[in-house]
Amino acid sequence: MIRLRTKRRERQDVAASGVLSDLAFLLIVFFIVIAVFNVNSGFLLGLPQKGSVTTVHVDDLMRVEITSDDAYVLNGSRLGVAELSQAVRTRRVTQPNVTMAVTISPDATYQSLVTAVEIARSNDVDNFSFSMAEER
Amino acid sequence: MKLRRPRRKPTVPVNAMSDIAFLLLIFIMLISLINYRQEVPIDYPEAERAEITQVDKNLELWVQKSGDLFHDGKRISLRDAEALIVDAVVADPAVRIHILADRATPYRHVAGVLEVLQTLQHRVVSLVVSESAPQ
Repeated sequence: MIRLRTKRRERQDVAASGVLSDLAFLLIVFFIVIAVFNVNSGFLLGLPQKGSVTTVHVDDLMRVEITSDDAYVLNGSRLGVAELSQAVRTRRVTQPNVTMAVTISPDATYQSLVTAVEIARSNDVDNFSFSMAEER
Repeated sequence: MKLRRPRRKPTVPVNAMSDIAFLLLIFIMLISLINYRQEVPIDYPEAERAEITQVDKNLELWVQKSGDLFHDGKRISLRDAEALIVDAVVADPAVRIHILADRATPYRHVAGVLEVLQTLQHRVVSLVVSESAPQ
């Protein structure tokens, strides 16, 4: 009688192959990324007391208006974001204590306010105030 | 006569690695569940330079383009927001208020929330943005 001897394949241990640890690490990376997404970043603003009055030297005051179509108006002329940033930078050189007072139309978008805050922050303007223009 | 024992080759226990990885996974899952927040669909305003404004205790108020106000995924009124802020400040005076408003929200809706904060004499507010790549 002939006895056939078949060669059996060796079974690989799943855990030993390292597949599970790879999978687990991928999941860890995924959850770390998800956790990082929850961190808020933006601008911190100090709100003045309601009805409080601050005295500012006229020369230090820079009035900017944000219109309902999100245009920035400085001294009667409409400016783009880059132009306004340049104007603030130039003003800050001559008046280091410049106060940027922004009047926002109720219909202007929130993004336009955020951009104005960013312009003030990037040009190191410490005194920044904003208020809503009266509705007509 | 000296007997020489055959030295075992040093090996890294790979099986234990997966156990550690799974423990880490469970830990991070729990942490992310604690940080879990109810997102309201909004288009974040963008800014190139933003600072991290998150602190230990945070209160998030979401404003949609339509002016609807949300907290923890639930629609609330300005009066509810006022009550929420008072409760949060009483529980922890160091709580930080975050305003997450859609970039296209008319300013009047955001001004309403800011007015509530001013009325309550809450001084510091965080305007949350998403960081955009510098142009």
